[in-house]
Amino acid sequence: MSYIDKINNAYEYINNILPCRPQIGVVLGTGLGTLADHIENKVIIEYNSVPDFPVSTVEGHAGRFIFGDMEGKKVLAMQGRFHYYEGYSMKEVTLPIRVMKKLGIGMLILSNACGGLNKAFSAGDIMIIKDHINLIGDNPLIGANLSEFGPRFPDMSQTYDHELIELCKKIASRLNIKVHEGIYTAVSGPNYETKAELNMLIVAGSDAVGMSTVPEAIVARHCGIKILGLSCITDMAIPDALVPLSHEEVVRVAEMAKPKFVSLVKEFIKEVNIHESL
Amino acid sequence: MMEMNKKISEAKIYIENNIVEKPEIGLILGSGLGVLGDRAENQKIIDYANIPNFPISTIEGHKGRFIFGEISGRKVAIMQGRFHYYEGYDMKETVFPIWVMRLLGIEKLIVTNAAGGINTDYKPGELMLIKDHINFMGKNPLIGPNLSSMGTRFPDMSNAYSSRLRDLIKSISYKLNIPIREGVYASMTGPAYETPAEIKMLRIMGADAVGMSTVPEVIAANHAGMEVAGISCITNMAAGVLDKPLSHEEVIKTADEVKDKFIKLVISIINEI
Repeated sequence: MSYIDKINNAYEYINNILPCRPQIGVVLGTGLGTLADHIENKVIIEYNSVPDFPVSTVEGHAGRFIFGDMEGKKVLAMQGRFHYYEGYSMKEVTLPIRVMKKLGIGMLILSNACGGLNKAFSAGDIMIIKDHINLIGDNPLIGANLSEFGPRFPDMSQTYDHELIELCKKIASRLNIKVHEGIYTAVSGPNYETKAELNMLIVAGSDAVGMSTVPEAIVARHCGIKILGLSCITDMAIPDALVPLSHEEVVRVAEMAKPKFVSLVKEFIKEVNIHESL
Repeated sequence: MMEMNKKISEAKIYIENNIVEKPEIGLILGSGLGVLGDRAENQKIIDYANIPNFPISTIEGHKGRFIFGEISGRKVAIMQGRFHYYEGYDMKETVFPIWVMRLLGIEKLIVTNAAGGINTDYKPGELMLIKDHINFMGKNPLIGPNLSSMGTRFPDMSNAYSSRLRDLIKSISYKLNIPIREGVYASMTGPAYETPAEIKMLRIMGADAVGMSTVPEVIAANHAGMEVAGISCITNMAAGVLDKPLSHEEVIKTADEVKDKFIKLVISIINEI
């Protein structure tokens, strides 16, 4: 079966279930899945019921779509995403983004849990992604171009939408939530980075490092979706002060940061003018 | 690897049976620069699609064929169109033509491309002699059992772009009054253009220009003992240098504007190489 057929099959299955067209897509990162609890009139679609969908395996990721109302908008949230380190191909990792595009989503909030490389950050802080560096060593657009989604050589000079960033900063300041702005670097994982690698990433200009988001952002930009990227800094990855890191710790800090993450995203969804931004 | 040797050999035999004289210089033409191929005399055109075991080029602006002929009296094999990693070919397919050219007896290779300027002194429309490269593709065409018919397991890359040819090209550029920069080319997979953050990183790492080709071919050519020269046409400034989006149309437009001086320079190089 061709990749396009897989996208179409998944799209048709979900489209038949949803009562109406979603406006905003939200990909929930490690430990941030509970944002979905704030969605009303829920329609839940398990990934494993969607034809031709990959299945999420990582702990802390539920692996389902949650559709419903949030602050007056129709939201389609992904609780659980597909990571390259799980063994999925880049095309599998980003298949849900193409399905969301077909479902009518024009704006996407990508969230993740990641390590902070900028000394001004602390664990538990939120970083708005200003730009990214792809160091995964692979790109989801390699292969024949799907021209119905976008051009062969998509521009990435404004991957994360400036207006959405400004709106998010304004809301954060009003809610008195400290946010940073920075550059997110994606590596393949699944091992955490060595000190030498972290040093290199800092030299290269990274403020945070993680194992997701970038493939999804590339594919979303390719098909013209506007993106807001939010990182929850769950640990500080400063090479000279590095302590052994566990996934449990990442989940624990993400849990702590959750209330402010939830109020920031909720308020953002409330205020963002999807008609103007689409 | 027997299988690969056989594949290369079949392609070589097919070409050999369709050309009159053995080529001595290989030339790969980058995006928008294919027009140089029309300058070859006594042309014999072989479409890639007709060559056994050859992949097929899909990208706009790349014709996908060999032109065998003469430029400045030298026997050349010109690749109008190349195979890019971002098209979905594996690295070995990307460099397959290099191996075939080597087997045809070619020992000198001129590689050209369209590239984005990272060095802020550069301007669109300028030419850059490739001094060295950085492979940022996360892949290497020599991974796998060594093709010992071509070269050694651990090939040296300390003179990947022949200093002899670089000196020659610089003196030709001076003589023809066609200014040429000299810089480091970094290859990324693409096909998405780089983000401004990625370009800043590449600048910190010492790159002057960025593109999505050339490096795999140059690695394979060096492995096979070929002497390589590389010329980039700076068709646009890389992301974040100027406050405007990048487009393939701009790349093709600039390459088209540059082609006259590019052709003049390359013809002179072939003459004197």
